[in-house]
Amino acid sequence: MKDRKTILWILAFALLCLLSAAALLWMGRDKPPAQVALITVDGELWERIELDRVTESYDLLIDTPYGQNLVHVEPGAISVTEADCPDRVCASMGKLEPGGLPIVCMPHHLVIELEARDTDA
Amino acid sequence: MRDTKKLTQMALLTAIALGIFMLEAQLPSPVPVPGVKLGLANIITLAAMLLLGRREAGLVLLMRVVMGAIFAGSPSTFLFSAAGGTLAYLCMCLLTARIPAQRLWVTSALAALAHNAGQLAACALIVKTPGLMAYAPVLALSGVATGVFTGLAAMYLLRALDKAGWRHD
Repeated sequence: MKDRKTILWILAFALLCLLSAAALLWMGRDKPPAQVALITVDGELWERIELDRVTESYDLLIDTPYGQNLVHVEPGAISVTEADCPDRVCASMGKLEPGGLPIVCMPHHLVIELEARDTDA
Repeated sequence: MRDTKKLTQMALLTAIALGIFMLEAQLPSPVPVPGVKLGLANIITLAAMLLLGRREAGLVLLMRVVMGAIFAGSPSTFLFSAAGGTLAYLCMCLLTARIPAQRLWVTSALAALAHNAGQLAACALIVKTPGLMAYAPVLALSGVATGVFTGLAAMYLLRALDKAGWRHD
């Protein structure tokens, strides 16, 4: 059943998976805690929040022609708690992590990411 | 005539693919990452490719994506689906001629990767955020996993259809 070509393909995919896993680990390496969050819609800045300066938690409503997302901002963390998009995956992504994936709501063209720091230790 | 039979088969496959798509859309995603999904409806796309041919499979896919977007998505969703779907379809067209049916899972995995790449690229263009590329490794892993799974499922489906009398290459 398993001839040479099949084995080569299996190895190729295995290699791709290994590289991807390695990339994920490298991305998640020791990073300083979340500092500045950038909320953009269609690539344009909606709000810039300095998470390390936040003292009291609050909710921010992002209301665009695409839809609504409710963002929860707390000292050092940000997350999407509610949304009216079809799948609501953005709301299940949890808090934005340094070295993790940016929070994205595709139907609403919304991205919440951490601002890249100029000095990387 | 032969065309009527083909038309009926295409309609049947479209309906089944749409049903699978809608069902999958109702299930909550086990992985909280945008863009990661099983894509089970593509089992039909793959099977259609080998059963009916490129153009027919393309039509089945197009019909399913359009109706799927109408019933279960927003205009934005359609755009992203179309970007990924087009790239995946082109990939399938190129590969089914070169990769034999016994390695359909390879074609499926590569098409899944193409789909994810297309979606990521479309998304990056729309939100103009290069930071989105952080999704590439996760989408690569999920592409391989889901592609292999749907490919294998399609292979089993074709085997069953073969026994039932549906001819394929």
